[in-house]
Amino acid sequence: MPSWEDFQPFIVTGLALGGVYALSGVGMVVLYRATGVLYLAFGAVGAFGALISWQLINSSHLNQWLAYLICVLFAGVVTLLYGMVFGPVLARRDPLVKATATLGLTLILLGAMDLLWPSSGGQSRAITLPTDNSGFMVGQVQVTWTDVIGLAVGVVMTAVTGAFLRFTKLGTTMRAMANDREITATLGVPVRRVEAAAWFGCGILSGIAGILLGDLVALDPTTLTFLVISSLAAALIARLRSITLTFLAAIVIGLVDSCITPIQSLTNYRDMTPFVLAAIGLLWVNRHRTISVTRQGV
Amino acid sequence: MSSVDAERPARDAPEASGSPGGSAPAPGGLAGLDLRDLLKPAIIAVLLLFVLVGLPQLFTLYYIDASTQVAVYAIVALGLGLLVGRVGMVSLGQAAVLSLGAWVAARLLFGTGLPFEVVLLASGVITMVLGTLVGLPALRLSGLYLALITLMLAGAITVVLATTNFPNGGHGFLGYNGNSVHIPPIRRPGIATTDPAFFRYSVIVAVIMFLLVLVHLRGKPGRAWVSIRQSESAALAAGINTTMYKLWAFALASFITGVAGGLLAGADKYLYSINFQTQDSITLLAVVLMGGVFSMWGAIIAAILMQFFPALLQNLGVSPDWLTILFGVGVLQVLATAPAGIVEQFPKDMARLYRLITRGRRRADPSVEASS
Amino acid sequence: MIEVSDLTVKFGGVTSLDDMSVTFESGTCGLIGPNGAGKTTFFNVLSGFVRPASGSIKAFGDDLLRMAHFRRARWGLRRTFQTEQAIEELSIYDNVAMIHEHSRLGRATRRQDVLGAIELVGIQSDPETKVRTLGAGERRLVEVARALVGRPKAVLLDEPAAGLPDEETAHLGEVIRHIPEHTGAMVILVDHDMSLVSSCCTVTSVLDFGKLIASGPTGEVLRDQRVVQAYLGGEAATAAEARAGGRGAGGGGSAIGEASTATEDGA
Repeated sequence: MPSWEDFQPFIVTGLALGGVYALSGVGMVVLYRATGVLYLAFGAVGAFGALISWQLINSSHLNQWLAYLICVLFAGVVTLLYGMVFGPVLARRDPLVKATATLGLTLILLGAMDLLWPSSGGQSRAITLPTDNSGFMVGQVQVTWTDVIGLAVGVVMTAVTGAFLRFTKLGTTMRAMANDREITATLGVPVRRVEAAAWFGCGILSGIAGILLGDLVALDPTTLTFLVISSLAAALIARLRSITLTFLAAIVIGLVDSCITPIQSLTNYRDMTPFVLAAIGLLWVNRHRTISVTRQGV
Repeated sequence: MSSVDAERPARDAPEASGSPGGSAPAPGGLAGLDLRDLLKPAIIAVLLLFVLVGLPQLFTLYYIDASTQVAVYAIVALGLGLLVGRVGMVSLGQAAVLSLGAWVAARLLFGTGLPFEVVLLASGVITMVLGTLVGLPALRLSGLYLALITLMLAGAITVVLATTNFPNGGHGFLGYNGNSVHIPPIRRPGIATTDPAFFRYSVIVAVIMFLLVLVHLRGKPGRAWVSIRQSESAALAAGINTTMYKLWAFALASFITGVAGGLLAGADKYLYSINFQTQDSITLLAVVLMGGVFSMWGAIIAAILMQFFPALLQNLGVSPDWLTILFGVGVLQVLATAPAGIVEQFPKDMARLYRLITRGRRRADPSVEASS
Repeated sequence: MIEVSDLTVKFGGVTSLDDMSVTFESGTCGLIGPNGAGKTTFFNVLSGFVRPASGSIKAFGDDLLRMAHFRRARWGLRRTFQTEQAIEELSIYDNVAMIHEHSRLGRATRRQDVLGAIELVGIQSDPETKVRTLGAGERRLVEVARALVGRPKAVLLDEPAAGLPDEETAHLGEVIRHIPEHTGAMVILVDHDMSLVSSCCTVTSVLDFGKLIASGPTGEVLRDQRVVQAYLGGEAATAAEARAGGRGAGGGGSAIGEASTATEDGA
């Protein structure tokens, strides 16, 4: 069993990752509440954007901040387009159908990424934010500014979103729509505009997450795409409802996942963490349901 | 995407026509009844004959291998189609179930001298048991959450598999020898050691699995599943133990997928965990949706899409990633255009064709409806 | 006989059924009340889809709430739904045979029982026809036939006549009236059509906001001031009473009949 000192760097990474998971989780929860769509393509979109940035930085030698901005905008626009095209079409369907549709988008993006950026053996791509190289010491541990940003975006996003939903007009509208889109529409609320805002916002967040995870973890299409599972796990534990709970769950997932790494006997299984936690969360949260009298299935 | 299920809709799609005591003869349509009943099995028999005898002659080994994969994945697609189309449960983890079956089969084939058929049965049963165990707590979840939990469990299995690897002739429970330089291939049944022979063997096993499912669909479980699909409350109010029937569907799907896993072990001869990714489960769902969840032909089409086309493209020098993109588009198209649900999505032209064919019959008996 | 004691159902902050205590003896009993009164919720409790917060139900001596929902059909509880739920992809025969198939009733008598039930409700179409092709009225009859097969003890009908034209409602009424004598089961009928209720039901209970506000012989209950008020509210009730009085007493001319028609017309 590793010592406290051995764990420390992993705690730092865990917090950083947890923060990004929180960012993603909050984005997905808000979008779900506003549109009923569980955006499973979140990771794929962010990955695509991150790869675009990489391409621009490394091949076109574009200014990196510009490249990152493009990534974020790209993710926002793609998500917005998806939402505007497929949102209304599937608006009345079961959440399951809506979520499955986003899997379609995921496949399209995965296929495109594998085409455009094939994993030809040996060549590994990476995103290196300038903040990777500077940091400070907390006791024995090295903390980079990237780590700080990771955690910070999570905290900030949770707080800002919470306030936004509660105090702004757009925010309360989104909360109303979460309850009933049709009724909200009849009240004269510009439903489509609000939805567009939710979609775009979520896309922006996925772009940011894509860059940070591309830096902190790996710039690999499959890895980044399926990292969404960690954020998804957090969102599910929060029953796709509470922003605060999403944040807390995300931090815990990030910490547990990371801190398992130094434990020899478990380290090979660390990738299981989000899956296991999500499964437990799902079952625990639904333990009281007797009958699932669903509407007609798919 | 079109599916060649022109005549399927009324026959074995959502209905089960096996009412006890025999069906009432259609007035004035006796001749038509006999012909139509014979036509379909005849066509299937001819097709089957062609596949078993003709294909191996026509195809090179490369394509025979691809065809064997089609046979294997047709079974898996059938299972998934059963879950999605009949019971309304979306599983995002069938590739993981397949890998479970393959693992069990590989272990047994290396560790015991049991005949291949027994191993197939064993992998089917063991996978079924595991699938049911998982299904039990998962069933109280509905729709979206059920799908997500299958994704989670599949992901977990994928990770475990990456660590434990597939058995390769080593000892111990896991049967994996990480150091061995010379890894023995997984053995095949005595009667089917060559690739063409194993292809035929796989097709026959696939046919048996299809028949197994057909028997279910035509009987009491099929009728119960149809009822549960339309209205779980009505089914309960009619005394149907919906939990049991859902589990039964899970068990059946797991069983045949487990058997398919056994076939896969024999087909590939060397199994690598890298070949069983989470993405594969999603691709599987995509092709099943595109092939049509409601018909058994759809399962075959799904398998062709997933296993044959990539081989074809690769041979032509085109990247199979284009197919992944296509599948993504396919999912969106299917979901966006399905009128009241995927289950009612039959290609409109095929349905029209069907109506044309049966127009004669309908004139004789107005109470028989050509489904659409 | 079904004895309901202190039944309370809560959904979040809303109390759908509030301490409901009533006994349904035998024959055909009506259960009426304005929209949202809790009638369907009550049926859902009987069916086992909703768990009450408190209370008990004793049906023919058995503790109903203890039974798993799918077993209740086998036991003898049958039900139709507000939106008819005949299974579209199955034939009439297969629909009606469902309960028979999933209970311990013998295979030998199945065909006979099923065809008997189909005949009882008066379905004209060939039993092999898919329900998908039938009209609303016949689908409803299929649903009712399904409820009558086997040995039903209690048949719950939730607004069976909703949306049906007059002659089909009349036919349905005929069928409902004969259920007790043909099958030995008791019937609880929920409907807004007061003429149907008065012609079929000997006794009627009334729910309003989850509370039982009246129970007794149908004629008396329909004239009860409290019941009329529940449907319409204060002054309008008096007006309806006056109109009904002018037309003369009797089933169709009751105040509650007026009130119910008024609410149905979107008042």
